[in-house]
Amino acid sequence: MYGIDGFHLSIPQLKFEDAEKVAIIGPSGSGKTTLLKLISGIIQPQYGSISIEDTVISQLSDAERRDYRISNIGFIFQDFELLDYLNVQDNILHPFRITKALKIDVQTKARVEALSQEMGIANKLNRLVNHLSQGEKQRAAICRAMITTPKLILADEATGNLDPRNKTKILDALFRSTDKNNATLIAVTHDHELLDRFDRIIDFKQFCEGEGI
Amino acid sequence: MIDSFYLAWRYIVFNRVKTITLVLCISLISFLPFSLKILLKESEHQLMSRAITTPLLVGAKGNSLDLVMNSLYFSKEKPDFISMKAVEKVMDSYLALPIPLYTRFHARKYPIVGTTLDYFEFRQHNIADGRSFAMLGEAVIGVDVATQLNLKVGDSLLSSPENLFDLAGVYPLKMTVTGVLKKTNSVDDKAVFVDLKTTWVIQGLGHGHQDVKTIQDSSDVLSQSDKLVTTSTKIKQYTEINLDNLDSFHFHGDPSIYPLTAIIAIPQDDKSATILRGRYLSEQKNKQIVRPKRVIEDLLGNIFQIKEFIDAVVFIVAIAMVLAIFLVFSLSFRLRQKEINTILHLGCSRGTVVQLIAAEILIIAIFSGLLCFSSLLVLQNFQGEIVHKLFIS
Amino acid sequence: MNRSNTNFVSKIILFSGLFLALNPAVAEDKPLNIYAVNYPVKFFAESIAGDHANVTLPMPTDIDPAFWEPKAEDVAGLQKADMILLNGANYAKWLPKVSLPLFKLVNTSSEFRDAYISLNEGVTHNHGTGGKHSHTGTAFTTWLDFSLAEKQAKSVFKALSRKQPKLNAGFVQNFIPLQKALLELDVQLTEIGNALNGQALLGSHPVYQYLRNRYKLNLESVHWEPEEAPTEEQWNTLKALVAKHPAKWMLWEGVPVAETVTKLEELGIKSIVFSPVSNLPETGDFLSIMNENIARLKTIRKK
Repeated sequence: MYGIDGFHLSIPQLKFEDAEKVAIIGPSGSGKTTLLKLISGIIQPQYGSISIEDTVISQLSDAERRDYRISNIGFIFQDFELLDYLNVQDNILHPFRITKALKIDVQTKARVEALSQEMGIANKLNRLVNHLSQGEKQRAAICRAMITTPKLILADEATGNLDPRNKTKILDALFRSTDKNNATLIAVTHDHELLDRFDRIIDFKQFCEGEGI
Repeated sequence: MIDSFYLAWRYIVFNRVKTITLVLCISLISFLPFSLKILLKESEHQLMSRAITTPLLVGAKGNSLDLVMNSLYFSKEKPDFISMKAVEKVMDSYLALPIPLYTRFHARKYPIVGTTLDYFEFRQHNIADGRSFAMLGEAVIGVDVATQLNLKVGDSLLSSPENLFDLAGVYPLKMTVTGVLKKTNSVDDKAVFVDLKTTWVIQGLGHGHQDVKTIQDSSDVLSQSDKLVTTSTKIKQYTEINLDNLDSFHFHGDPSIYPLTAIIAIPQDDKSATILRGRYLSEQKNKQIVRPKRVIEDLLGNIFQIKEFIDAVVFIVAIAMVLAIFLVFSLSFRLRQKEINTILHLGCSRGTVVQLIAAEILIIAIFSGLLCFSSLLVLQNFQGEIVHKLFIS
Repeated sequence: MNRSNTNFVSKIILFSGLFLALNPAVAEDKPLNIYAVNYPVKFFAESIAGDHANVTLPMPTDIDPAFWEPKAEDVAGLQKADMILLNGANYAKWLPKVSLPLFKLVNTSSEFRDAYISLNEGVTHNHGTGGKHSHTGTAFTTWLDFSLAEKQAKSVFKALSRKQPKLNAGFVQNFIPLQKALLELDVQLTEIGNALNGQALLGSHPVYQYLRNRYKLNLESVHWEPEEAPTEEQWNTLKALVAKHPAKWMLWEGVPVAETVTKLEELGIKSIVFSPVSNLPETGDFLSIMNENIARLKTIRKK
């Protein structure tokens, strides 16, 4: 929460299970996106620790956190955050091109093929993303998030910019993908009509009011 | 590193308008100072090489630069005329040998240079094909004239009227090409050389026509006596000179007053040159004698002064251009801040972000450099012609 | 060597470097390749240069050199010459129609241009109403005035010395007797002129202007050719002329046809040959032929 001296988020304890699908809801400014940043190691907690499986994220160096993040965590953004100057295939492979920790090989390309088939965009791999519909763009973003076979998917308002029909489809696709990879999904969302599809719902209102889980 | 270049390349190709604009701007600002240097160096070489080998020029009093440029480079500015008397004066002085020039006329866009055979020996020109002119109406052409007009020995070339409505003026004369010069790498490659007397025929000071004594058509004769025949202007005048009509060609009036544009004077030595120059300074009211080397040095001095000014202007423009390019890049990166944040979120290091930006800049720089370099290569290839067109003709 | 010769030898030395420096070097052991426009000038050059020059008269021997019509190949030969000796006085009518290197041209009569004799003969023509253009010619047989012939020979000598200054001594040695011979002819003809004392003479062809003027001969010319019988009109012109100018002698360029001689004698006019020897003679040389001319002229004086 925002105080006189800045933003404070205090979470006594929060645990996520393997393959769990968790929805995070709460008022704006309650720290939902901050939580995702803490989990992914983008920012460091002042107190306490964050671990993913056996890796204590909060104790890694900046470079180690980056490498861990790009190799093990997949991101899905509200605005898709695809690069308009790359085609769908290059967008999916983008994480491999911005780090030395990952290398494109034969298996990677096969995975691109498989993921795109799964998402129903295999025939659009050579197209620039501007030529895709909103739903197709988010599917491409999901492929990008899944390309590294991550253990954890962090989705920040993944369905925020989609129409109701696409919201459901995208969530279906996301769930299928995470199930297939046995990945944990933590999704920040404002779409209350989709909440019943999640395994657990965490309301960040409690952290604003100082209650623990 | 390769991935950075790949991503940079994709970005550049997608934003091709911006990229092309940047490449053109950078290329242009890089090209300008180098091209100026190349052109000025070439112009200095062209101007000085001809000027150095031409000891003295005699011409009508007036603009000495026009005299030098017209006599050495056959530029369009025509000095006032002098007469053949000036040639006799130089000859009779025993201080120098004269080579008369008359460059008034053109054959299409190529200057017709009326002179004597001594010109070729003076300039050390040789014939590549055919022979030198021997008779009135014959021409020797420079190699570029032969190539561009597709002319060879035996072909004809017409002199051009002086202006479009030159109805009562000089008649076009059909000249026969007897020779093509070897490449000289000078303005002589683009010139048509004829005997001095042929240019006087073009002017109308000499001509050929039917024998006045044997005219059949009475309407051609206005009056006739034993000593004088007055013909009408209807009488057929020949517009080409060949073996059949050569004998009919003649000149009217006193040849010593026939016109020239200049005389190249080749003095025996420096002392002779000084004496000759002194005579012209003290005695000649309507003629001047100039040292082409000095005139061109003055011209180059002015050009280099202007060049320094242009250099300063180009430098300021370059700074402005660099600042503008810097602004373009920084605005571009501000617009891409979201993209940068995303890839940082994904796990990209700041170093990699810098690498991506550097790769873009490097690619643009390489293309600009290549464009600039290839433009300079092209310029170097055509520097002779460009300099001739811009500064000389 | 007399003073005048010393003076102009100094002049030669003064200017000798000019043409040598500016013209292609000619090896001194190689004879100069010289072309001449007529026989007198050729004779002068051969007399002075001796073995150091090959002097060519490029036209056929049976034509008047002044009216030669050279072809391009003839001009090419001229262009290659080391020196081209001109008579001057617009002698070579073909000169304005050909291209020759100015530096190689030597006008042997350039020093006495003011002595040229203008002609008003021939047909003048003009075109339209643009004003009269006179075809005023210049008499060109300058060598028949032997004072001018001597100047022409001197001009040839100067040109040779400029071209080959190291051979100057030899040229001087050859020039002096030639000069002497020409001046002697001048003296002889002056005496004949004085002796004739205005006696009317005729010239068969207008080539005796310089002879007439220098030696004060009372000579009028018609326009006949020795090898052609005159036409009726030409005879009438002669008769009209003789009526005003009662001449008893006609000078011919060459031996006239017998019929003409006979007809002239019927008119009381005798014929003698005074050959200008413009072209290469079949026998003799310039000096011997001129001496023969003078000998024949002397017979008029006696009579």
